[in-house]
Amino acid sequence: MTDATTHAVELVGTNGRAKTIRVEEGETIVDAAKRADVAVPYGCLYGACGTCTAELLDGEVCHQTSPRALKPSSLDAGYVLPCIATPESDCRLRVGYGIQAEVVGTPWK
Amino acid sequence: MSTDDPSHDTEQSGHEHHEVEGPGYPTPAAMRTEGGREETAYVMAPRVGMENDGPDFVGIVDLDPTSDTYSELIDAVEMPNNGDELHHFGWNACSSSCHSEGLARQYLVVPGQRSSRIHIIDAEDPREPELVKVIEPEEVFEHGLSAPHTVHCVPGGKIVISMLGDANGELPGGFLQLDQEDFSIDGHWEADRGDMEMNYDYWYQPRHDVMISSEWAAPNTYYPGFDLDDVEAGKYGDSIHIWSWDDREHIQTLEFGDQGQIPLEVRMSHNPEETQGYIGAALSSNIIRFYEESDGTWDWDVVIDEDPREHEDWDMPVPPLITDILLSLDDQYLFFSNWLHGDVRMYDVSDAGNPRLVDRVWAGGLFGDRQTVQGEDIRGSPQMLQLSRDGKRLYWTTSLFSSWDNQFFPDIATEGSLMLKADVYPDEGRMELDEEFLVDFGDAPGGPARAHEIRWPGGDCTSDVWQ
Repeated sequence: MTDATTHAVELVGTNGRAKTIRVEEGETIVDAAKRADVAVPYGCLYGACGTCTAELLDGEVCHQTSPRALKPSSLDAGYVLPCIATPESDCRLRVGYGIQAEVVGTPWK
Repeated sequence: MSTDDPSHDTEQSGHEHHEVEGPGYPTPAAMRTEGGREETAYVMAPRVGMENDGPDFVGIVDLDPTSDTYSELIDAVEMPNNGDELHHFGWNACSSSCHSEGLARQYLVVPGQRSSRIHIIDAEDPREPELVKVIEPEEVFEHGLSAPHTVHCVPGGKIVISMLGDANGELPGGFLQLDQEDFSIDGHWEADRGDMEMNYDYWYQPRHDVMISSEWAAPNTYYPGFDLDDVEAGKYGDSIHIWSWDDREHIQTLEFGDQGQIPLEVRMSHNPEETQGYIGAALSSNIIRFYEESDGTWDWDVVIDEDPREHEDWDMPVPPLITDILLSLDDQYLFFSNWLHGDVRMYDVSDAGNPRLVDRVWAGGLFGDRQTVQGEDIRGSPQMLQLSRDGKRLYWTTSLFSSWDNQFFPDIATEGSLMLKADVYPDEGRMELDEEFLVDFGDAPGGPARAHEIRWPGGDCTSDVWQ
């Protein structure tokens, strides 16, 4: 699936359904999803808010700016921010509105 | 007189300067007694972090009880982008510009809390508002600011928006000033922010040369969700800031410590002669009164102190989490919401330093004995409040903030939030849930949405300031 300038990114939704999009070199995963008309959550678009938080299942991505919305432990656990992430290889990502809350948990509970 | 009239004629209100017509009302009492019943509500309706994809919108809710569509979402102004998180909003002009001829309360300034995009909506026709201008995030970031929150119009042809972060969503925040005529960005409002780093809400009393601002946290702290580790690390606010309104300089910090963690909404008395107000400290779940001393410095007291409560499904006692407070236009009653516990409370504050609990309504939340209205589950809990000008109807929505909703009340993300109402009887010091009133943002055209801040055309209990 990979050619010189694009990577295939499989987005696995909350319901388990997957869609594969092609991401251009230097393009963020959220931008590519918008271009392909595939719905993914997002907010600030600069890595501060975490609305787009996804779990990287396979492959490698590179954050183009500091992923401020994620704590080091969340980054270590494989969470990424597709709004500022570009793929370095073909990737599989688990995406969906609920992942952000899963990462932070619920205080007092 | 139509209560939706955006350009209330000050001459009809017996204003002392008959030659000048401006927006709003000459006094809080004029607004309370002559404003008439609200017929329309504008409600911020974000879809950020919802299961369904889609843009946020400004909802238009019919509040005219004689209408066939009373208590319904009758229209929506959709935003051109996804992901904004519409949150708080304000007017281009209010009673603070009562002396400004030619100015009308016509434009809503509607910021995206997450996107930092600022929308201008022309609401000249209250039932046909339309988007007329968009300030893109890049234009805001150029001024080293992000995360727009509270919007107030300001005498002298300006609009000032509290900004919670810098261009990276980190500290410090500041204040962004817009031009009232063309909504271009002037730059920072503040000349010297002193030791203020965090920002959230603000209120001002121009007659006393004072502005008070509060603290949430850095956007990159509160945006991703509420984490107690961040509280431990001192990343959440516990102070308010006193500013010289005229000099635009920070002059004093009131540090509350544990008694005032996460001080959010600032409500000063509507009476422009008063030099006091209240703030709800969300996490400490205290109401703090602040006031000016005879020497011109400011001091504070905790006047309401709520306790956390054990819940069988939760590991630790859960705080009430006071997320919004509101003062009636006659400054006699203080209302606030306990977003986690599930009640909205009404206090008599006629003795300002000694609030007296007179009534409360339970609806949803962790402890509400009422969990449905009209058979609909109450998703979330009392949160953003708005009171009718005459003080007889209290409305609220149930969503706090997308990421925090998803932690505490995840059903909102799939089914949307609600707008509810209580009838208030100020002469009897009580209120009652109106079971006939329910606006379900789960039924919004285009898919479920959250519901946040509420405003009326013509001004409300949290929009206007008097010179």
